[in-house]
Amino acid sequence: MKHKILYLLILVALILSACGGGQSAGADASVVHIGWAGSPDSLNPGLAILTEAYTIFGLVYDSMYTLNLNGSFTLNLASSVERSDDGLVYTFKIKDGVKWHDGKPLTAEDVSFSYNLYKDTPEYPYLNGYYTPYFSSIEATANNEVILTLTEAIPNIESQLVFLYILPKHIWENENKIEFENTTMIGSGPFKMAEYVQNEFVRLTANKEHFATPPKVDEVIFQTFENQDALIQAIKTGQMDMVTEMPNTAVTSLKTVKNIEVVIGAPFSPGVSDIIFNQIKEENCPTAEEGGICTGHPALRDRNVRLAMAHATDKQKLIDVVLLGLGAPGLTLIPDGLGVWYNDSIKDFEFDVAKANKILDDAGYLDTDGDKIREMPDGSRPLTFRLNWPSDSITAPRMAELLSEMWAGIGISLETQAVDPDALTAQCCPAFDFDLMLWGWASDPDPSTLLYVYTTESVPTGSSETGYSNPAYDKLYAEQQVELEFEARKAIIWEMQRIVHEDVVYIIPFYEQATQAYRTDRFTGWVTNQPKVELSDVSSLAFIEPIK
Amino acid sequence: MRKILPHPFIPFQGVTLNRTRTLLKKIAWSIFTILFVIILNFFLFRVLPGDPARAGIRDPRLKKEAVEMLRVRFGLDKPVINCFDSLNPIKIGSCSVNPLDTQFFIYFRNLFQGELGISYHSNRPVADVLTERLWNTVLLIGAGQILSIVIGVIFGVFAAWKARTAVDYTSVVTSLLVWSLPTFWLAIILLFWGSNHGLPLAGKSTPGSSSLPLLKQWADIGWHMLLPTLTYTIVYMGEYTLIMRSSLMDVLSEDYILTAKAKGLSTFQILKDHAIKNAMLPLVTIIAINLGFTVAGAIQIEAVFSWPGLGGAIFEAVGRRDFPILQGAFLLIAITVILANFLADLTYSFLDPRVKME
Repeated sequence: MKHKILYLLILVALILSACGGGQSAGADASVVHIGWAGSPDSLNPGLAILTEAYTIFGLVYDSMYTLNLNGSFTLNLASSVERSDDGLVYTFKIKDGVKWHDGKPLTAEDVSFSYNLYKDTPEYPYLNGYYTPYFSSIEATANNEVILTLTEAIPNIESQLVFLYILPKHIWENENKIEFENTTMIGSGPFKMAEYVQNEFVRLTANKEHFATPPKVDEVIFQTFENQDALIQAIKTGQMDMVTEMPNTAVTSLKTVKNIEVVIGAPFSPGVSDIIFNQIKEENCPTAEEGGICTGHPALRDRNVRLAMAHATDKQKLIDVVLLGLGAPGLTLIPDGLGVWYNDSIKDFEFDVAKANKILDDAGYLDTDGDKIREMPDGSRPLTFRLNWPSDSITAPRMAELLSEMWAGIGISLETQAVDPDALTAQCCPAFDFDLMLWGWASDPDPSTLLYVYTTESVPTGSSETGYSNPAYDKLYAEQQVELEFEARKAIIWEMQRIVHEDVVYIIPFYEQATQAYRTDRFTGWVTNQPKVELSDVSSLAFIEPIK
Repeated sequence: MRKILPHPFIPFQGVTLNRTRTLLKKIAWSIFTILFVIILNFFLFRVLPGDPARAGIRDPRLKKEAVEMLRVRFGLDKPVINCFDSLNPIKIGSCSVNPLDTQFFIYFRNLFQGELGISYHSNRPVADVLTERLWNTVLLIGAGQILSIVIGVIFGVFAAWKARTAVDYTSVVTSLLVWSLPTFWLAIILLFWGSNHGLPLAGKSTPGSSSLPLLKQWADIGWHMLLPTLTYTIVYMGEYTLIMRSSLMDVLSEDYILTAKAKGLSTFQILKDHAIKNAMLPLVTIIAINLGFTVAGAIQIEAVFSWPGLGGAIFEAVGRRDFPILQGAFLLIAITVILANFLADLTYSFLDPRVKME
């Protein structure tokens, strides 16, 4: 009896595998299979946070501007834009003949509806909090124009609008803005949503009637891999045509595989790794009500100590060991991936242990008790710092080890410990209950987001990680927020980077690079010659063609 | 992967109670346990450090007001319970707040209205997310359990029947070997093997297959299940083989088996009618416990093969402080474990008349 069941099961399995096998072999040549390690958190643009969601939005929706891989913007949905002399009123002429995926026309009404939706929905934490605060009113005119009036003349309107995707009014006006899951996702972009299963896959079909970038392929499938070994194996064996990420350890081996090209460059949202100094002064400590605790080591408030530590940090070694070489040495929170905004004229503090030791000697931090650890000039406490990092970081443990070794050379010792990311946030900001931390940021296309992190104003909000406060810097921050001339604003932003580098607010060990890979025997036309790497961007997916 | 050592089965002794009373008592205990779990679930996650409103987003642009808005939306602005505004860090609040307006009461009330809440991460109803995931897990682990039980029992019976022969030794050694294989490692090995034979490496179905006829859809899911089910079966069948073997060998040494032999029954008849049924008892215990944990999923297998199951959902939710998902999932697991044990108790009396509920 039991034997029969077993035979039956084996038989069923065989039949199933036979059917299934036939299916996977019959894959269409014009379907692009993309493997990634995540899945969108939400398809409601107001609620989504993860980059995976933004990747899908970028393909299915249109926005007023397109962000190019060199950091510049192109007007997308409008044929022209006019700015009033006071910089407060923008008039966008929406292109004619743009259609939603359900066939209805996209008009200025939809654009003003979308902008008003983002502006008036405070439950959209991301978009409402950052991209719409300067919006005063948005109106659609009879001749398909959108008039956007601002409360202040701001210089970076493109970066404010680029992630505000245009939604179809005829669908969204009938929905609850917060509960709407938007899984059918009617957009106007070069790809249409065909099928979405959270944590499994997103299947998009081409919108061959797109006004700007009609794709040449028929379908794009994003498949979620929770396991990176499986992801690598899937591109090696040809199950995937492209992978959006990989561990650095896989890069060397993947480079040697026939028909696979590995692309390395700045990420689409450039990332920064930082070594955070808690340097908050007593007078700046957030109140108990705001959550301030401020237990930082007093030595870190002294620029000499921070400078010595910067001189004692071998960034190239960190890059080689921690990132296996896949990174660029860092300067400030503004990464090289931001292109023109990145101040490449700054000369970094050279790696020089002798110089570092001299700085500490001169400043009076001496090892008075012979335990190879320096003490404060008044002898009160040794230069022993707590170093914490989020426990989900892959790179931080190795980095902590290397930093312990490097800084031991200048008489500084570390007490290293990984902390749950949430607990670390609680310790960090605005509590300032730490000495040193390893963490990082992802950057917006406009530098002002990360420049804000250095301001005094951001100390009680929890954005400032260092407690750094410099009135001169704060003044420049305010100036660049309203400077409409590109060159003048760039000069201010470069100066701000020089100041914070000079003050050694952080040590930025490196800017991580993105690594993606594609198969050369399936599709041609992947864009790889740009400063930033993003093969799942419209710039690639709308232009690639199957190899015959 | 959980593993349970085989242990001798101890039948209930000396308690004779009214059948209905016993049953009622068991049901009452089950309900009490579930209630306890519900309460524990609530506090368990709230003593974790960190703020769910900030867990997902660490971004300088997230203004204080926006964080406040999130807290209001998730109901986190209300005191946890009377006298406590927050449990980690502990913040003493007013004890005279309206108890109906505390997080605890709202949680309780919603639960009894069948409301599990909204996931903080995906903004989707928890019930939707969990149903999706539960179904996937039950499918995978269900198939794996059935296969490993069937194969395990067959091997176990053979081994006990041919005790101390080459068949027995081979099966014991093999069982010990596969039982001690690290699940993760075996899964990776099978994944590499499968990738070279065109087997799917991720997910539960081929994108686009939902438009195919139902039979083909099922075939597609079966195709995707092949590797994870195989892993699960290999890992679990050793356990079942060993338990079945030792249990059956105990039974085979009993006097009544000797009697059966003396009566001239064939080995097959002895095994079928007299031995296997009795030897199944310890196995039922293990199966019941394993089935209970089925719902929790096999996190490692799910992770390697990107199987969108419940185990993975729990793992992700912990990192995101997604309390509603965690509460829902833990409740589900608790109910299944309690139910499975309850059913196991009932099965004993069916399998072994000595375990009676008179």
